[in-house]
Amino acid sequence: MVASFDWQFIWDHLPDFWEGLQATLKVAGIGIAGSLAIGVILGAARAHRVPVISWLAAIYVEVIRNTPILVQIFFIAGALPHFPGHPIRLDPFTIAWLSVMVWGGAYNTENFRAAFEAVPFRYREAGLALGFSRLATFFNITLPIGARIALPSSINTYVSVLKNTSLLTAIGFAELTNTAYSLESESFKPTEIYFALGVTYLLVVWSLSALLRIVEWRLTLPEAR
Amino acid sequence: MKRITVAAVGLLLAAAVFTSLGAAAPGANIMQAAAAPPKKKPVKPKLPALPSAVKSRKHWEIGVKCDFPPFGFIDVRGNNDGYDVQVAERFAQLAFGSKKKVNFTCVTTPSRIPTLMSGRVDIIVSTLTWTQARSEQIDFSIPYYSATGRLLVPNNSSVTVSSLSGKTVVTTRGALYAAWTRNCFKNTKLLEVDSPALAVAAVKDGRADTFMFDDAFLLGVATQDRDVRLTGDKFLAVPWGIGIRKGDAAMARWVNAALRWMKKKDEFVKILRANAPARLVGSFLDNVPRPNNTFAYPVGKDVTAICP
Repeated sequence: MVASFDWQFIWDHLPDFWEGLQATLKVAGIGIAGSLAIGVILGAARAHRVPVISWLAAIYVEVIRNTPILVQIFFIAGALPHFPGHPIRLDPFTIAWLSVMVWGGAYNTENFRAAFEAVPFRYREAGLALGFSRLATFFNITLPIGARIALPSSINTYVSVLKNTSLLTAIGFAELTNTAYSLESESFKPTEIYFALGVTYLLVVWSLSALLRIVEWRLTLPEAR
Repeated sequence: MKRITVAAVGLLLAAAVFTSLGAAAPGANIMQAAAAPPKKKPVKPKLPALPSAVKSRKHWEIGVKCDFPPFGFIDVRGNNDGYDVQVAERFAQLAFGSKKKVNFTCVTTPSRIPTLMSGRVDIIVSTLTWTQARSEQIDFSIPYYSATGRLLVPNNSSVTVSSLSGKTVVTTRGALYAAWTRNCFKNTKLLEVDSPALAVAAVKDGRADTFMFDDAFLLGVATQDRDVRLTGDKFLAVPWGIGIRKGDAAMARWVNAALRWMKKKDEFVKILRANAPARLVGSFLDNVPRPNNTFAYPVGKDVTAICP
């Protein structure tokens, strides 16, 4: 098997893999940044029980966490363009980052809600006693401490956002998995292609988690060291 | 009295003759009916020996499309049907005397060649366009159909082959059109999906500007769906063949002999008529092999590298 393994083929098609990888990284980058923003905002709204926003966020989290992401992708790609009265037509790239962002945002909302609620109440009381407004208390006390508590669980979500981009192959978006799958359909070299694909994901995801663990280590709360 | 007797006997005789004639008439019809088939029955072709694996199994195992009307699809009763399926059924009839002696396996564009190579099917009759890369993996029979590429666009679209720059083209994964688009339209975005139905949806959902595909499939879509139409462009006319495992000479001999015989008897037109809407048959007559219509594969040429 090793003898028939065509290393040259992988070498020749590295540019194809690179193109796919770029698309994967772009989508994952937007998805991760977006899910961080959604997580912080909606997580704070949930933890502080902000009326209306908190209720809507709860519905959003339940809907996303209790449906498969593949169904969500098909919904955004296939159902929105035929929405009665107000069809929403999106290009494949927008569908790609939107679907992983919406998914990651829901999980992150829960990560941050739990983290903000874990910030000891006496810290917040101290802030309010010092004359900080509720918003200032959030930015100066709850967010710096809560975001650090949320790091380990939200890192898992970011890694999943990156890996979930491979599901976008279902709508034909040309990310890494789709590129490899298409290459395989034309060249009939599954062993070489899926081996290269697996190694590429391993390297990329491992690098991302390593990077995030460094961030986590640098930001760890003093008492947790 | 004598006269009466004569008349009675005459009457009886007449009646007897009449009844015997009447009784004989159906008998004569049966005789004729029995005698007629040998006259009309088509000459059984002298085909080479059936490959032993198929012969001992007593039925064919054939890979066909199930998502590609009118070539290979599942009808309302759940049975396989279409042009490819009927070619396969004709093979069963020629090999075993009954068109039921075939077991179909659904294949898709990306899965058909791996399915053939894995040995799960004897041959694939699955809208398989000849390409150089494919011919290095498997053997092709002589052509049994020839398709051209067309563009399916929304009615209000102005996209044509000459204005694909900056547009998004959708096609099925592993299809000739994907490689052609990559080679010839550098500024065109490509969406590759797993089935033609998904590609039609991509155009209707606005994710892609046009679906580039075989005329046979697209005409069916355009005649049933009022929101989309075909552009006038025609490109990549390459014949389809039946896929045979590399080096399976006995199979190739039998399949090619059967196809040659069907071509000689103009059977492909009959199969076409049975599958295409009547008003479209005329525009497809040049797409099937006929006694005076022969196709050849572009051997030695990479058609996907020939740009318009």
